[in-house]
Amino acid sequence: MAMRDARREPPDRDRQPGATDSQHGQQVEAERDRNATLPAERDRAPERIQMASDQPSHPEGALQAASPSDVAEPIVVENTLWTAASPNAYGGNQPASITHLRELDVEDKSDNARWSGALEIIPTKADYVLDLIRANSLWPLLSGLACCAIEMMSAATSRNDMDRFGMFPFRASPRQADVLIVAGTLTTKMAGPLVRLWEQMPEPKWCVAMGDCTCSGGRYKRSYAVVEGIDRIMPVDVYVPGCPPRPEGLIYGMLKLQQLIIERRGHWPDRQVGPSVPAGV
Amino acid sequence: MTADATRIRSLDDPTLFVDTPATIYDAVPPYPPRSEREAEFYHLRDGELLINLGPQHPSTHGVLRVVLKIDGERVVDLDPVLGYLHRGVEKICENGDWHHAISNCDPLEYVASMFSEAMPVLACEKLLDLEVPRRAEYIRVLAWELNRIASHALFVGWLALDLGGLTPILYSFIERDEIVEMLAALTGQRLLFNYLRIGGVNGDLNHEFMSRLGDWMSHAAEQLDNNQKLLNENEIFVRRTKGLGTLDRETALRLCMTGPPLRATGIPYDVRRAHPYSVYPELEFRIPTREEGDSYARYQLHLDEARESIHIIDQVLHQMPDGPVMAQIPRLIRPRPGRAWIAIESPRGQYGCFAISDGSDQPFRLRIRDPSYFNLQAVGVLTPGNLIADTMAIMASLDPIMGGIDK
Repeated sequence: MAMRDARREPPDRDRQPGATDSQHGQQVEAERDRNATLPAERDRAPERIQMASDQPSHPEGALQAASPSDVAEPIVVENTLWTAASPNAYGGNQPASITHLRELDVEDKSDNARWSGALEIIPTKADYVLDLIRANSLWPLLSGLACCAIEMMSAATSRNDMDRFGMFPFRASPRQADVLIVAGTLTTKMAGPLVRLWEQMPEPKWCVAMGDCTCSGGRYKRSYAVVEGIDRIMPVDVYVPGCPPRPEGLIYGMLKLQQLIIERRGHWPDRQVGPSVPAGV
Repeated sequence: MTADATRIRSLDDPTLFVDTPATIYDAVPPYPPRSEREAEFYHLRDGELLINLGPQHPSTHGVLRVVLKIDGERVVDLDPVLGYLHRGVEKICENGDWHHAISNCDPLEYVASMFSEAMPVLACEKLLDLEVPRRAEYIRVLAWELNRIASHALFVGWLALDLGGLTPILYSFIERDEIVEMLAALTGQRLLFNYLRIGGVNGDLNHEFMSRLGDWMSHAAEQLDNNQKLLNENEIFVRRTKGLGTLDRETALRLCMTGPPLRATGIPYDVRRAHPYSVYPELEFRIPTREEGDSYARYQLHLDEARESIHIIDQVLHQMPDGPVMAQIPRLIRPRPGRAWIAIESPRGQYGCFAISDGSDQPFRLRIRDPSYFNLQAVGVLTPGNLIADTMAIMASLDPIMGGIDK
């Protein structure tokens, strides 16, 4: 399957509808030859035709496997709304501000994911878009340790209703959750299971420390059985102090978490991943 | 160790890595059996399987861990593992003075902390032979009964939630938040009130509390009836709780159970009536009981008690005397050397405290008797033979609070 490099070569609009198949076939042949001269392409085995599993006896109905080079191509959206101010806009390496954005009189806008107009190509990072989605649909883990859990449930139910801000569905399984709200005193015996919960959560995940006990040990700081702050055993994004904080306090903390996710948009891969327990703990 | 053993982190100690067979590492402790009971429990017969319930499980009301031995969908045996919320409250109380003990005992029973914070207060007053002003006693009873209703409202919601119904807990929290906001106007805190003081209470009733209380009293009974309709006529709820976890009187007494689980078997034991304290002898109320002793009876009993509490609050508001709310006591309290036992009726049963004073300003020993701990023991008697899903219904109907169990 031959695909054009859409950035360099815009779709040819002047082509006659009656162009013969042989012309098109020649063009494809030429491209294939050009590719074949590249050493990497020469070494690669010819594309293998995979059959659809439900049509074993019909090779023409078989599905074609996508090669790695196809996946890397940009998504091309057919442009039906505007024409570029300069025909060489994309081919001539000109900045986006003098092309379609000038046409639509939105020069103050940059050509990024925030732009919601019709674009031929959306040049963005998947993480930018995904983080926006993540921030507005936080799924906390329903794991209460002690007193704060009651206020966490109060924040989720009728009077305070966290659902308004897009963070309702309290999941009972760590494998479906985004946010671990550690609500209540963390004891040394519970520290192991809690770290295991944290490590079971899939990777875009955040941690909110709710209550004084989880922030610093709180009123049990001097106890022999209490971990003085959960940041000793796992990374924490937002601290919500209070003994216990009001439900409004927790909601404010979760809104701060949304803000934090949006500000760090696209920087998720920079964050430390993997085992969160430092050596020597 | 066999070749397929895996190196995993111990559940009990995060610094400890143990070699355990990976297939059953969740349930089997990483040490050899310490008793005959443990050896028998962890010896699996053909077709039996060990699974973990908790410590993180929405139905365990905190961080209780129960190792279930199951055969198919039936629970054969179970082994509760406690201590995941052990905060060393009793030891901390010995290190501060008597006033500090009030706020340290607060989070023991965190759904009804007005009761657990009364422990050092009443024990110290008994050691001091202190006369508490009558208005303070009435305010205490008012706060206790309000907190009892809030706790019972949550019980109903949790029971339904553990059976798979989300709606009732939304209504429970409406009522609970109304009461808790009212108490916050009185005490300044929603959950851990820290309101009772040795010799009285922290502050007199204020205008905001009284206006909120008046609003609530005007529709409290009606709201209770409405919430009750959600579950009483729900066929799924009734069929899943009726006849489930039936407890007989002898077992209940043998396990030292108190509170609603005991009264649901027909024994009218209530500390407010059996060993009267505060101004309860001056108030009229009845002790509701049920004969069946199953989960449904325990649920019904909680609703009856909430109605009685509304009745008590009504009387308290009519009989409330004027006067001070704090006794004249020195700031530094040194009770005489001696021992004192006090008990009150919390929403979960007899909440007791055994205090020893050595004559200093600190308690020498403060032993808390939490009813949840004794009520929870019934899970071991009631659950075997039932389905796994019914374990939740039984456990929720006993209403354990892990803060008091693990202390």
